[in-house]
Formats: sequence, C-alpha cells, structure tokens
Amino acid sequence: MKKFLSSSLARGLVWQVIGTIVGIGLITGIRAAMGLPTTDSVFFFTEPAWVLGAFLGGLFFLSANGSVSDWFKWARGIDTPEHHEEHYKGWEKFVNVSLDHKVIGVQYTMLSLILICVGGLFALIFRTELAASELQFLTLDMKLFNQNGPQLFNTMMSLHGMLMIQGILLGVAGIINYVVPLLLGAQDMAFPRMNAFSFWLGVPGSIILLSSIVLGGFDTGWTGYPPLSARAPVGVQMFFLGVFFLGWSSILGGLNVVVTVVRVRARSMNAFRMPIFVWASVATSIITMTATQLIGLSFQLVMFQRLLGMGFFDPAKGGNPVLYQHLFWFYSHPAVYVFVLPGLGVISELLPVFARKPLFGYRWIAMSSLGIALVGFVVWAHHMFASGMNEYLRVPFMYSTLLVGVPTGVKFFSWVATIWKGKIDFHTPMLFVLGAIVVFLLGGITGPVLAAISVDLHLTDTYFIVGHFHDTIFGGFVFPFFAALYYWFPKATGRRMSETLGKIHFWIMTPSFLVLQFGMMRIGLLGMRRRIVDYDPAMGFDSTHLVLTIAGYLIGISVAIFLYNFFNSMKNGEKAEGNIWNSRSPEWQVPSPMPMHNYDQPFEVVGEPYDYGLPGSKYVEFAAATTPAKSKH
Amino acid sequence: MTHTHDKSSALRQGVLIFVYLTVLTILEYFVAVTFNATSILVVVAVIKAALVMYYYMHIYKLNEENEGDENSYAYKTGTNRLGLWFFLLSDAFVFAGLLVMRLNLLGFTRPPLNQTLGFAVTAVLLFSSFFMNRGETAMAHGDTKGFMNNVLITFVMGLGFLLGVVMVEWRIAAEEGLIASFGNPATGPMGAVFYMMTGMHAFHVLTGLIFLFVVWNNARKGVYSAEKHWGVEAAAVYWHFVDLVWIFFYPALYLIGTLVHLD
Repeated sequence: MKKFLSSSLARGLVWQVIGTIVGIGLITGIRAAMGLPTTDSVFFFTEPAWVLGAFLGGLFFLSANGSVSDWFKWARGIDTPEHHEEHYKGWEKFVNVSLDHKVIGVQYTMLSLILICVGGLFALIFRTELAASELQFLTLDMKLFNQNGPQLFNTMMSLHGMLMIQGILLGVAGIINYVVPLLLGAQDMAFPRMNAFSFWLGVPGSIILLSSIVLGGFDTGWTGYPPLSARAPVGVQMFFLGVFFLGWSSILGGLNVVVTVVRVRARSMNAFRMPIFVWASVATSIITMTATQLIGLSFQLVMFQRLLGMGFFDPAKGGNPVLYQHLFWFYSHPAVYVFVLPGLGVISELLPVFARKPLFGYRWIAMSSLGIALVGFVVWAHHMFASGMNEYLRVPFMYSTLLVGVPTGVKFFSWVATIWKGKIDFHTPMLFVLGAIVVFLLGGITGPVLAAISVDLHLTDTYFIVGHFHDTIFGGFVFPFFAALYYWFPKATGRRMSETLGKIHFWIMTPSFLVLQFGMMRIGLLGMRRRIVDYDPAMGFDSTHLVLTIAGYLIGISVAIFLYNFFNSMKNGEKAEGNIWNSRSPEWQVPSPMPMHNYDQPFEVVGEPYDYGLPGSKYVEFAAATTPAKSKH
Repeated sequence: MTHTHDKSSALRQGVLIFVYLTVLTILEYFVAVTFNATSILVVVAVIKAALVMYYYMHIYKLNEENEGDENSYAYKTGTNRLGLWFFLLSDAFVFAGLLVMRLNLLGFTRPPLNQTLGFAVTAVLLFSSFFMNRGETAMAHGDTKGFMNNVLITFVMGLGFLLGVVMVEWRIAAEEGLIASFGNPATGPMGAVFYMMTGMHAFHVLTGLIFLFVVWNNARKGVYSAEKHWGVEAAAVYWHFVDLVWIFFYPALYLIGTLVHLD
C-alpha cells in the first residue's frame, strides 16, 4: 500500500484533484469578481468552472507524475540519460513512469481492459432494461446523479460507446507498443519519453471521461451531435474533454509508431520483409496521427459554443450543424479502421504460424492495409445520408464506400488461401483467429449492403446498424485482441494461459456473439430503433430482446473467465520460456519473458517472414556474440 | 538555386527568399483590393508556402542520409526531424479543419476587418521568419552570439504580432460589430470564425514564443554548437510553420470573397 501511495499513478491522481480544485476556484473567483453567478443549483459550480477544473486537473496529473520531467530538464538545458535505471520490480513497474516500451504496452493493455470492462458493465445494465418492453428498473421515478432512469440509460448507452472506443484505441496501442519494436529488432520506440507521455495522457483522460456520469451525464450517444450536445448537461463537457486527452494520446502514439518503423529497423529488413503486423500498425498510425485532430477540433468547437456562445453549429446564429457531422466523421469513420486494421494484421500474422504454411500474397496483404487506410479518408459522409447534406454528395460517397470492399476482400482471399490445405493447430489463439475471420466476414458483407443509399436510408439508426458495427468491431478487434493476448502472453510473462479455460472462453463467446448479432440485425430490419430505452410490445421484439440479453450476459461470463485466466496465469500458469508456438518471428527466437533491453544480439533479416513449411528457410539470423551493434539500411 | 552550406551564401539565400515573399505578399494584397480573384490568391499562397517550406523549413533535410550508427547525434536528429514534420502534418489538419469551417460558414464573403492592421501584422510575422532564418543559419555555423541576437529580434516581432492580433485587432473587430460586446463573442458566424481561427493561430504563436525563449536561454548557457543544435532547428521550423499557417489564414480572413458590413 505504501509503495502504491508513493507511485507516479497515486501522485498524479492527487495532483489531478488539486488541479481540479484550482481550476474551479480560479473561474469561480473570476466570476465572483465580475459579478457573475458563481454557483449552480444542481452541479454546485458553473460549467466554465468545471471545464477549466477538469482541464487543469489533467495537466496537473501529467506534470506531477513525472512523465514530462525530462522534457522540463531539456528545456533548462540539462541533459538526461537515454534510458533511466529501472528500480521497480513486479507490479510497481506498471504504476510508475517507465520508458520501456514493453512496460508501456502492458500499461496500455491494462487500462484498455479496465475501460472495456466498465463499458461492458454499462452495456449489461442497459441490456437488462431492454430485456422486456416497458420500463423495469430504469424507471422515471428512480434518481441517480440527478438523472432519472431513462436519462441514466442514455448516459450509459453513450458512455458504453465512447468507453469501448477509447478502450479499443488503448488496446490497439498496447499490442502495437509491445510487439512492434520486438518485430523490428529495436531496443525501444523512437521517442520513449513521448511514448510514456502518450500512455499517461490516457489516465486523466479516462477519469475525466468517466466523471461525466456524475455531472448529469449526457444523452447524445457517442457521436455528440449538436444541437443536442449544445444543450446537454455539464457531463457532455467532461465527455468532450476526456476524449480530447485520449485523442492526444492516440495522435502522439501513432506518430511514434510511424517514425519508429521508418527509422529503427533491423538490418536488411526492407519494406517487403517487414512482418505484416508492422504494416497494419503503420496504416493504422497514419490515420491516428492525422485524422484524430478533426474529432478534437469538432469537440472543441462545441465546447466553445457552449462556453462562449460562439455559434458554429447553431443555425440561429448562422452556424451549420451538418458541418459538425462532416468534421466529426472525417475522423470517426477512419477511426473504425484504426480499430480493425491492427486486428486484421494480427489475423494475418498468426494464421501462417498455426496453419504451418506461407502467408498467401504477402505484398497484397501489406498493400491492402494501406489501401483500406487511404480509402478510409474519403468515405466519411456515408454516415450522413440521412442528415440533410447536399444530395449530390451521396452517390460518390456510396461508391467510395463500396471500394473499401476491394482491399478487404483481398485479405479474405489471402486468409482462405493460407488456411487451404494447411496443417492447422487448434490452439486458443488460432481459435480466436478463425472466429475473427467468420465474424468479420459477417460484419464485412453487411457493410456494402448499408453503403447502398436506398438501403441505408431505410436502416439508418436501427439495430441493423448496431449489429453491423458490433460485428466489424468484434471480428476486427475483440477476437484478434484476445488472440494476440493468448499468443503474446507467454512472451511477456514467461508463462502461458490455460488452454482449457481459453477454449471455454472461446466456445461460450463465439456462439453467444453470433446470436447477439443476428438478433440485433433481425429486429433492426423489423424497425427497432437504436439508442432508445423502451419499445412498443406490439412490435413483437420482447422475445428477441430477451435472447439478446441472455447472449450479452454469456459474453460477460466468458470475459470473466478470460480475466480469471489472465490474472491467475501470471502467477500460476504453466512455465513457457521457449518458442511454444513454433514461430519464425524474431521475438520467439529468444527466451521468454523478454529481457529488459530486448535483444542482446542484433539480428539480420535473411529470408521471407512467413515461409512456414519450406525446409531450410530462415527469417532472421542473430549476429555472433562478438559483433558490435550496428545500424540498419 | 540550391541549398548551400557556406554561411554567407546561406544568408544571401535567406534574403532572396524574403524578397520573393515580400513581393508576393504585396502582390496578393493589391490583387485583393483591385479585383476579386480568389484563384490568383490561392496560387500565390501556395507559392509562398512552397518557398517557406523548402528554404526556411528546409523540408529537403528529411531526405538526407544520416551517417553514423543509430546512437549518433546525427542519426537521432534525423529521427527527431521526421517526428517534428509528422507533428506539423498532424497540426496542419487542425488548421485545414478551420479553413473548411470558414468556407462552409462564410462562403465567399469576408468580415469587415482593418486591412492596414492585417497587412501590418502579416508583414511583422514575415520579418520575424526572416530573422529566425538568419538565427538558425548563424547557429549552424557555430555563431551563438549571432543566433541570440537574431532570435531576440524574432521574439520581439512575434510578441508584436501576438499583441497586435489579440490586443488591437480583436478590439477593432469587436467595434466593427463582429461581436456584440468585447468578451462575449456571441453573435453571428463571422465573429465565431474570426475569433476561432485567429485564436487558434495565436495559441500556436504563444507556444512558439515559449519555444524561442527556451532555445535563447539554452544558447546563453552554451548548450548548442554547430554540430549539435537540434533544439534550435526545431524551434525555427516550428516558428516558420506558424508563419506558414498565416500564409493561408491571412487571405482566408482578409482578402477573399466580398466584404459584408455588419450593423
């Protein structure tokens, strides 16, 4: 306990509270001096006070926890060593600032699991309310955090969306951070301090985001469209601000990945000999480091509209609400490719390992990741077919959206061809990879269906959309994320997770999810609206909703089994220090857990990465122990 | 004209680019006041941006082969340079978003702003970029004193630009009716767009000024040398980026479209 209280995390949290008080005090004092009202009947303080409080809270957290201290030293002209001595052991490493990409990867993954669990919990709560028509426990009479039942439903529904999105972004960053430098043969990321800073931005960001629920919540959904978001309670400001912090985490993290891949690769690792997961990471990072600015901007503009009365999106003041949607979706559509591209990369990375065959069409797969990322920049308005934007925009956006199917199709052909006549090992990671392919296929083929304008106009804002995107996200992120965790867990810990529990996890989650998704699509086609707390019993959705709720709980149970397996195996798992998956990848050629500074000897790429089953072929060769460390090219 | 390593010719090149930029800016101004030709303004702005990016921000250095192994200062500077440019690319998306907002909300109209003042602050920022370039050139040749003098001039001019926009321009715009009363930018899209765009730019000018102070202070302590001065280069490139943004924001706010008077 004492060790925790002296950690960077605890220090940051204390200072976040102090910063929040300072910010609130500052604005309240200024307002008092100007003769403006200083208190609010519901939330104690005024909205500007809360906003500055939360913002300063985040800044205080970051300046107090030590993630920026080296930069301050540089600014004063003091040099610091490239890497600091690590003096923390065990769990303490993860609550203190570390510059080691492996520690940061684990930190990201843990924060991601926390956010995903909270978001999932919210989903189970409102899913329970939806199990039958009429209001059962989220009733008009109940009150919690100044919200009645349906309002609380709206808040939890909105937060479920954003917590999952941020959880996914952090999860993606976790896997990329841990794995990419190992695959490249690098000691660390190109900018280790910025890497740590990116992670620590996520902690106050998550806290601010979650605090929205106690400050009146918000009822806008995760999209936060004005004019609704311009009128929602203070909670929506916390939502905007939290996402703003997490967005910067994503931007700087993505930048770091691209620079790392360009600048620090092992010898002879040219572009087309990089592992496919590296390609996927680059594609995803190009999106995060550029497009993310636009969601930050659109949220800022709404914040200023609320705080200063600037009417960007207020038609009464000459603003344009549709402009918000353009700015917002310019990020938020590519964002779904940020979620799925690393996942698809994991599928391509693991399939050859477990099918014991070369990856089919390596170059096509590499290029298709970039293709999806680039086409992803020009499809955003397909979210807005029903928004009242200019009609002539619809058709080009329909075609650009259909175009996404081409590079995605390339991936499917490659996967099928890789599995074809393979000698498949059905280990847990492989099960999740296969599950991902099936589920993502269902999500993928409903995409072009929805891209067709006439169909989309009919299905906009129904549960069909909900089913579609849960499909893509489960297939593109959740299943591959679990596959990656099962696969690289031994690398991080030197122990493996239980295969039996892993298989139970898979065999509960997969059928439950398929039921959930088909059920959602069914009632969506029949006219079930998304984001509403209640529905008419005469629609006949009651039985389907009950099944959906049961399926939702089963997924929750399977994830609980996973969490038990995950944390239990860290201590009690079977020892696994060798190359347990028989992989050709460089990180498996050295013992687990990975040593502090990665590879003692640098390696050189001497062959193709995925030539499984070809006798005598090799991907990497480690330098003899006497050769001095030498750089790339 | 190519990039060069010799100090006096590097300084001469800086002067030449400054003259080009000045001529183009004056041309831009007269095109705007004499006839309304947005396309010419766009072309001029793109040419100015290209000159700044190539000669002042020396984007070509991204292509340089860095000799030495991964732990050498030269190699790390190459890595840092790439990181900085990606950061600027990322930041450019914010400003591009603001330009899109301006075109969407105001179309081909422009707010009633003080043209003389707008031209004056633009000139000040352009001058500051010129001195920044001289400062960086001095440092690249090991002349710490010359660097400090030039960066001081840059700082003063940058501060002049910042105060000119925030203290003077914002007030005058308010009197023109862009907002109902000072401190309450509540009316109309013109006020919202003008204050948001100049405000976001002013925030970047402010961070640039802090950056300039930091490198000036470090130079005073003798941290930089001809071989090792990445901090100076980064501050210079960032400062020119702030100028680069204004190359687009200035015509977008002051020059294009038909003037609309507010009551």
